[in-house]
Amino acid sequence: MSTAQDQDTFVFRRQAEWSELEKLIGLGKELHRSAPRDISRAASLYRSVCADLMRARANYGPDLIRYLDGLAARAHNLLYGARAYRVSALWKLIAHEFPQTLRRRWGFFALANLLFYLPFLIGMFGTLASTEFAETILPAQQLAGMEDMYSEGFNEGRDEGTDSAMAGFYVLNNVGIAFRCFATGILFGVGSLFFSIYNGLTIGVVLGWVTHTGHGGNILTFICGHGPFELTAIVISAAAGLQMGWALIKTDGLTRTGSLRAQARELGNLIVGAAVMLVIAAAIEGFWSPSGLPPPVKWTFSGFACLFVIAWLGLGGRSRAASPRVEVGA
Amino acid sequence: MDAAQPVRPIDTTAEVETPEHVRFDYPLAGPSRRAVAYLIDAMIRAGVVFVVVLVLQLVEIGVGFDGMSTGATLIAIFLLDWFYYVFFETIWSGRSPGKRALRLRVVGQDGRSLTVLDSVLRNLLRAADFLPFGYAVGLVVVSSDPMFRRLGDMVAGTVVVIEDPGRVTAPLYLHPPPTVEEMERLPSRMPVSREELEAIEVFLRRRGTLAPLRELELAEMIAPIFAKRLNLFHVPDPVRLLGLIYARARGHQAVAAPHQQQQQQGWQQQQGWPQQQAPQQGWQQQQGWPQQQAPQQGWPQQPAPQQQGWPQQQQPQQGWQQQQQQAQQQGWPQQQPPHPGQPPNQPNQNPGPWS
Repeated sequence: MSTAQDQDTFVFRRQAEWSELEKLIGLGKELHRSAPRDISRAASLYRSVCADLMRARANYGPDLIRYLDGLAARAHNLLYGARAYRVSALWKLIAHEFPQTLRRRWGFFALANLLFYLPFLIGMFGTLASTEFAETILPAQQLAGMEDMYSEGFNEGRDEGTDSAMAGFYVLNNVGIAFRCFATGILFGVGSLFFSIYNGLTIGVVLGWVTHTGHGGNILTFICGHGPFELTAIVISAAAGLQMGWALIKTDGLTRTGSLRAQARELGNLIVGAAVMLVIAAAIEGFWSPSGLPPPVKWTFSGFACLFVIAWLGLGGRSRAASPRVEVGA
Repeated sequence: MDAAQPVRPIDTTAEVETPEHVRFDYPLAGPSRRAVAYLIDAMIRAGVVFVVVLVLQLVEIGVGFDGMSTGATLIAIFLLDWFYYVFFETIWSGRSPGKRALRLRVVGQDGRSLTVLDSVLRNLLRAADFLPFGYAVGLVVVSSDPMFRRLGDMVAGTVVVIEDPGRVTAPLYLHPPPTVEEMERLPSRMPVSREELEAIEVFLRRRGTLAPLRELELAEMIAPIFAKRLNLFHVPDPVRLLGLIYARARGHQAVAAPHQQQQQQGWQQQQGWPQQQAPQQGWQQQQGWPQQQAPQQGWPQQPAPQQQGWPQQQQPQQGWQQQQQQAQQQGWPQQQPPHPGQPPNQPNQNPGPWS
C-alpha cells in the first residue's frame, strides 16, 4: 500500500494539535462558558482533526483511526452540543404545533375519545343500574372510600395543608396515568388500548357509584373545573400511544423503527402538549376544585375552561389565510 | 471509501455522519454500563427526595404548619420521576449525572445533539421499558438491538455512546529489526490487503496481553495463508513472519547485520520510549510520542554496518530458515551493537551513532 506520508511521521506532525484539542475538550465545562478564544480555537482544531481522520481512514492503521474517531466525536459533541433554548420555541410548540398535530391526526384522537368515553358511560350507567356491576370492577372498600370523600361536599373548603397534599397526590397519580397511557402504546398500541378502557371504566364506575349514593352533585362540581383539561390530556396521551402503536403495525414500507422515527416529532408535540394540560389540571384540581366557592361559580369557570380547551385545540396554530396578504412579495 | 469497504466489521460501534460529511464511529454503551449509570442516578434522586423530606419536616416542626410536606414531597417525587433526565439531558446535552460519571452521552442516531423533544420522548418511554418491573422489557430490547437502543431510544432516534478519552497508540516496530536477508525474501509490494494488514496490526498490538502459546497458536492459523501467498514453504516462526509482513508493508527499514539483542529475540513493546526499554520481547510500542525528535531518528535510515563499523564477517551469512532456527534455539548472537531503536540513555555499553 502506498501512503502519502508514513503513519509515524503523520502522528508526529499532528500530535501537538491533537493534544491541544484534547486539553480544550477535557476541561469538562460546556463550551459556551469557555473563553471566546478557546471556542474558536477548538472549532478550528476540530476541523483539522476531521481532515486528519479522513486521511487516517484512507491510509493508516485501525488504532490511530479509533483514536481520531473518538477525539473528533467528543469535539463534535462539545461544539454542537451547546444550543440556546428559547421560551418562544416552547410557546410555539404548545400554542401552535401541538394543536396542529392533534388536528392532523384527528383519527387517533377520535378513536382515543371513543375508547375512553364508551367504557366511561358503560361504567357509569352500569353502576346506576346495578351496584353488583360496580363491585365486580372495583373493590367495595375503594368505592366506600370514594363515597366518604364526596359525601361532605366542599362548602367549607379544605384547609391549606390538605390542598397541597391533594395537589401533590393528583399530580403524581394523573400524570402517571396519562404518561403510562402513552408509553405503553409502544407495545403495538395494546397498552394504550388497555389503559384507556380501564381508566374510562373506573372513572365511570366511581362517578356512577357516588351519584347512586346521592352525592352526584358534589363529585360533578368537584370534577367540572379540572376535568376539561385532565380528561382531555389523558385522551390525547392515549391517542399519541395509539399512533405510536399503529406506526409499528402499518409501516408504509419503512422498517419498524424507521416508521417510529417518522412519527417522533408529532408524538413529542402531542405528549408535551398533554403534559402542559396536565400541569394546568393539577393546579386547578389541587387548589380551585376543592375550594369552598359556591357551585355556580365553579360551573361558570368550568364553562370557560371548556371553551378555552376547545379554542386551544381547535384554533391554535391556524394560519390567518383568510386575511389578505397582498403585501407579501409585492 | 464505502465502496472499498462494503462490509462493516461486526462491532459495537455506530457510524454517524455529520453535516460536514465527517463520519465518526461511536462506541456504543451496552446494558451493564447503562445500568450502573441508572443506579447512580437513582441514588441521586433518592438522596434529593430524602433531603426534601428532611427539610420539610424541619420546616413543619418549626412553623407548625401541617400537611404541607406530603404534597411537596409528592410533587418532588413526581418531578424527579418524569423530568430529572429531561432536565439534565437538556442542560448537559445528553448527559445525566450518572451518565457523566460513566462517560456516557445520549446523541441522535445521526450524530446531532439531543433536542428537548427527543429527551422527553426517550424518558417518558421509560415507563414502557420498565415493564413489567426493573426494566425487563428494556433489557430484552437493548440486548437484541445492534445499536443497544431501548424502546425510548428507538422512538426518539437516539443512541447512548461512550466518550472514552483515547490515546494515540504508538508505532509498532519489529524487534529486533528485520534484517536485509529477511526483507529480501519478501516482495516490495506486499500482496496483503489493507484489512489484512489491520488484522495483523491488531494481533501484534495484542501481543503483550497474550500468553506465548496462545500467541503462537493464533499466528499459526494466519501465517500459513500469507506464507503460501509469498511462496515461503517453511515458516519457522509464524509470529515473526507476521511482523515482517507488517514491517515490510509499513515501509520500515531493514538493517543488514544479523541481529543481536541483550534480550531475547522477538517483537519489542516499549513503555515510555525513549526513556526506558522494556525487557520483554515483542513489538515496540511506545506510550507517548517523542516531542522533539522524529520517530525515524530512532532507526537507522540505511543499513548500518558501514557507519557503525560492525564486524562484517563475524557471522557467516545464513539463509533465512537457518538463521531463524538458530535464533529460536539459542536466542540471538550476543556481542553486537545495541539495537538501533534502543534509547540513548539506556545504560549501554555500545552506543549507536545517533546518541
